[in-house]
Amino acid sequence: MVRAPIDAVESRPHLSDDDPGMTAGVDPKETGMKASSETERSGAPSRTATDVARRVADILSDAGADLVASLPDNWIAPMIRHFDADNRFRHVPVNREESAVGLCSGAFFTGAPGVALIGASGFLTCIYAITKINYTYQIPMLFLITMRGDPGDPARFHVSNGLYLRAVMDAIAIPFIDIDRYDDLGKIGAAYRHMSVIGRPYVVGMSRNVLRGNR
Amino acid sequence: MAMLIDACFSALAARWTDELVITSAGNSSEVWWEITRDTERTFYLEASMSLSTMFAAGIAMGYPDARFWAFIGDGAFAMNTGMLFVERDLALPNLVSVIVANRCYGSTGGVVLPDSRDIDFAAVARAAGVARVFIFDSVAKLEAGFDEAFRSAGPTTVVLELEPPARHYESPPFDGPELKYRFGRALEKRFSRNVLP
Repeated sequence: MVRAPIDAVESRPHLSDDDPGMTAGVDPKETGMKASSETERSGAPSRTATDVARRVADILSDAGADLVASLPDNWIAPMIRHFDADNRFRHVPVNREESAVGLCSGAFFTGAPGVALIGASGFLTCIYAITKINYTYQIPMLFLITMRGDPGDPARFHVSNGLYLRAVMDAIAIPFIDIDRYDDLGKIGAAYRHMSVIGRPYVVGMSRNVLRGNR
Repeated sequence: MAMLIDACFSALAARWTDELVITSAGNSSEVWWEITRDTERTFYLEASMSLSTMFAAGIAMGYPDARFWAFIGDGAFAMNTGMLFVERDLALPNLVSVIVANRCYGSTGGVVLPDSRDIDFAAVARAAGVARVFIFDSVAKLEAGFDEAFRSAGPTTVVLELEPPARHYESPPFDGPELKYRFGRALEKRFSRNVLP
């Protein structure tokens, strides 16, 4: 299951959208501007990160979600901004990913389990909370996470996610789907509904390409 | 000056009406269960390591007309003081966060909390921007200030200054899913809404 993060260790100029000191606003794709030359060359549909965010919000709203707790990874910054402005949702910025687990798990008792929109690194800090709250009490919640460290992620500081994220998810047997295409975003709604059937949390991992609208 | 947890929780339970209660790991779960034997208005969130107030907030947001008490141990509080900023931002008028300040890890052998006597939990809450902060170190003061602290509207933090536990308490004898269904079904009945799948 563990894949080598081939591209994550490739040589790259120092400054990039993935450098910790850079904001998402540096990259036009991540501010909702039109498609990059990469996309245009590929012939893929011209979508922006904001288009993707809107589609994800529509899917989650249709599925019955109304609470999103978030902590940024710059891949999902546009999506966080969207949820913050979308009045179909109550968006709660948290300052520690485990707090999102607490909040979203409590929301289960309102009839609509919450959604944690966080990065891969933040998800890895939640393992104890997931096993102690969501598994012990069989409380579902949805994690929308970034697949940092996968091939295509140039950030060296996310190599560990590429190496261990899937292995950790396997170790706790948490249901997981990987989305790398815009046309597959509908699976998010299916995951949200199905997690209540199985009484477990569900993880949806979103690739860099799908979040940027490249696929 | 500090209270015995049995006396403190007995005073709270005697004034408890229809509030929904979320307990934290260890003593708050154990003593609340011993005194109340309740599983329909209480959810025993054991071993969450600091997430009981966030968990309560997630419920409280969906029931604006109900009132919530969320206990959190001082050991858990010290692990995640950042939650105070989230609580302040949420500003839930129906949630009272109750810090069980016994200055030790009461559920795991009573080992002393590091630098425990020097920590002013109420000051930490005020510094985080929580407007309504109350501290009680005697049952008499708790009884006198109960209505203002627990019954007035507005996001609130209450600090209960307690002695370390003097004896061992039993955990509520339920598996997680049973607690989920008992609490969830009671919510459905009380609020006439679908909660559980």
